Amino acid sequence: MASALISARDRQTLVEVVCTAFPHSSFPRGPYERAADVVLDQAGQDPRFLAQLIQGLGELDAQRDVPFTELDTDTAAAVLRGADGTPFLTAVVDSAVVTLYSDPEVWELLGYEGPSYDKGGYVDRGFNDLDWLPEPRITHDEEASA
Amino acid sequence: MTRFDYDDGDVVVVVGSGAGGGTVANELCQRGFKTVVLEAGPHLTGEDYVQDEWEAFGQMAWTDPRTTSGSWQVATDFPELPAWIVKAVGGTTTHWAGACPRFKAHELAARSTYGDIDGANLLDWPIALSELEPYYDKAEIKMGVTHRHGRPPLPANNNYKVFANGAEKVGYRYYSTGPYATNAEPYDGRPATVQDGFNFQGDKHGSKWSTLVAELPKAERTGNLDLRPDSHAAQILHDATGRATGVLYVDRNGTLRRQRAAVVCVAGNSIETPRLLLLSGSAQHPDGLANSSGQVGRNYMRHTTGTVWGQFDRPVHMYRGETMAGVIADESRLDTDRGFVGGYYMETIALGPAFLAKFVAPGKWGSQLTELLDGYRNTAGMWIVGEDMPQADNRITLNSDVTDAHQLPVADVHFDDHANDVAMRRHGQRQGAAVYQAVGSRRTIETPPYPSTHNLGTCRMSQRPRDGVVDRFGRAHDVPNLFISDGSVFTTGAAANPTLTIVALATRQAEYIATELTKTL
Repeated sequence: MASALISARDRQTLVEVVCTAFPHSSFPRGPYERAADVVLDQAGQDPRFLAQLIQGLGELDAQRDVPFTELDTDTAAAVLRGADGTPFLTAVVDSAVVTLYSDPEVWELLGYEGPSYDKGGYVDRGFNDLDWLPEPRITHDEEASA
Repeated sequence: MTRFDYDDGDVVVVVGSGAGGGTVANELCQRGFKTVVLEAGPHLTGEDYVQDEWEAFGQMAWTDPRTTSGSWQVATDFPELPAWIVKAVGGTTTHWAGACPRFKAHELAARSTYGDIDGANLLDWPIALSELEPYYDKAEIKMGVTHRHGRPPLPANNNYKVFANGAEKVGYRYYSTGPYATNAEPYDGRPATVQDGFNFQGDKHGSKWSTLVAELPKAERTGNLDLRPDSHAAQILHDATGRATGVLYVDRNGTLRRQRAAVVCVAGNSIETPRLLLLSGSAQHPDGLANSSGQVGRNYMRHTTGTVWGQFDRPVHMYRGETMAGVIADESRLDTDRGFVGGYYMETIALGPAFLAKFVAPGKWGSQLTELLDGYRNTAGMWIVGEDMPQADNRITLNSDVTDAHQLPVADVHFDDHANDVAMRRHGQRQGAAVYQAVGSRRTIETPPYPSTHNLGTCRMSQRPRDGVVDRFGRAHDVPNLFISDGSVFTTGAAANPTLTIVALATRQAEYIATELTKTL
């Protein structure tokens, strides 16, 4: 459960922080929103993290004349770089890196097919379909001694 | 399900059910000895495993608190996770990949071969390769290792195709898809691999050798195995004559139990094994049990490791198929002209996006990381694994400021890289990059060491009692019925992945214990 102390605008700022930390032009908004929501859930269970989050998001908004969500990509990255190593950003990044890249929608975009056992593994689904290099040998002559 | 009485003093108690503990237990059960195995973790099986990197990590990994110190990068990147090993029945054999090289003769005589290396605490093993060879044969047959004893090799997967073509182009000769302890065809009641791409998350299919699917079920069928999961050893007890008499452990309900024993075998991995000995100090053993040498916990080794990723213009899909079924052995040779002693292997490795993002540059974020992940589909990976130098101050100690759920002081893992380790890692990463560049990689990326998967040393084998903790059979110099049955006994680490050697040594040790017990019982 996200805390009542986090406003809708704070959430949008957090989503933008996750987008800025992990920029992928191919990703839609959904995976970033899901990663941000997990951060909020975790902060809801951890008063110290929640306090850091409230403070950290507020500080990001105060860095320029306009709110963090309205900054252009390069400026947002520069502002975030200024917060690198703070407990706030470290905690957000540590959480988001796990959620974002465990998201099946992200897997598909990156070309990872994930769980395969229910589909019979990859043995008949391309485990050896690379065809832009010659077929290599799989044994060598002096295996016992090498 | 066999159950022995807590006060049955005829049993052998084995602490830990991984490569060493599971093997020594099965070998003793087969010979008719009553054996109690205490496993700290739960009894997970193939159906329980999840093909999701983080979920599986949460399910299987040993995440009880530990601390780190020293200059190694893991202490910065993963200060509370020095090692990535398993807490479950089958131990780390449920998560290992399967690579099975043997030690070479000179690696068992590292001090004589390499000489006196500044800062290193090298020592020759008290056994020679010729004594180990029959047990390597037994272990390979037991495990169904490919490329050995008539077992067919695994086919080339995509990651291997890149790796092997690169190896050929840079002039390497000794590359192949094994030896590897996963079935290419059905063997020993276990099916052939379906190349499902998950090893570190447990093998749902049971094609990979582990004590979970091979040794422990065989032991169970003898009626001599009493396997107790969720049983965390807290202390080894001894009597006034200096013999071990049993083990105190916390059961699944949090109750402290005492299991009496004729013999105690400790196989908790090279962090938990010395921790248990240090926790078992007494008036007679003030510095910890079996520690008159002061060597318990010292000479902790973790192998010199690193990862190289190559990114290409065309798809690789490295995650499809067996994770580590590709080995280049050329750099494992004895050749001290490379600027370091010891050798290393290059082995294929694959991670999913979740673990790649976490491990490729721990704590980092931004476009450098995301550009790399955008190339995921076209990425090939290899792991460097080589001999590291034992150092007296690389050691496991008790951290009395931090306790676990049972109020037991946790292990602190202290490690400093030796200059030799650093030189070897650089060489390996350079050679790894050359392999990928030879087949047209657009870029190569080097990843720092992960939390240790190969934990070695800390109760080393020595000829003289003052140099180590156990003798040539893994029997404690100080306690005649106490044995160490895991990789803690490694006098030096060699380049080879350790599991095969742990299994060979445990098989040999069980034979010895059986002979000795038959004399006394």
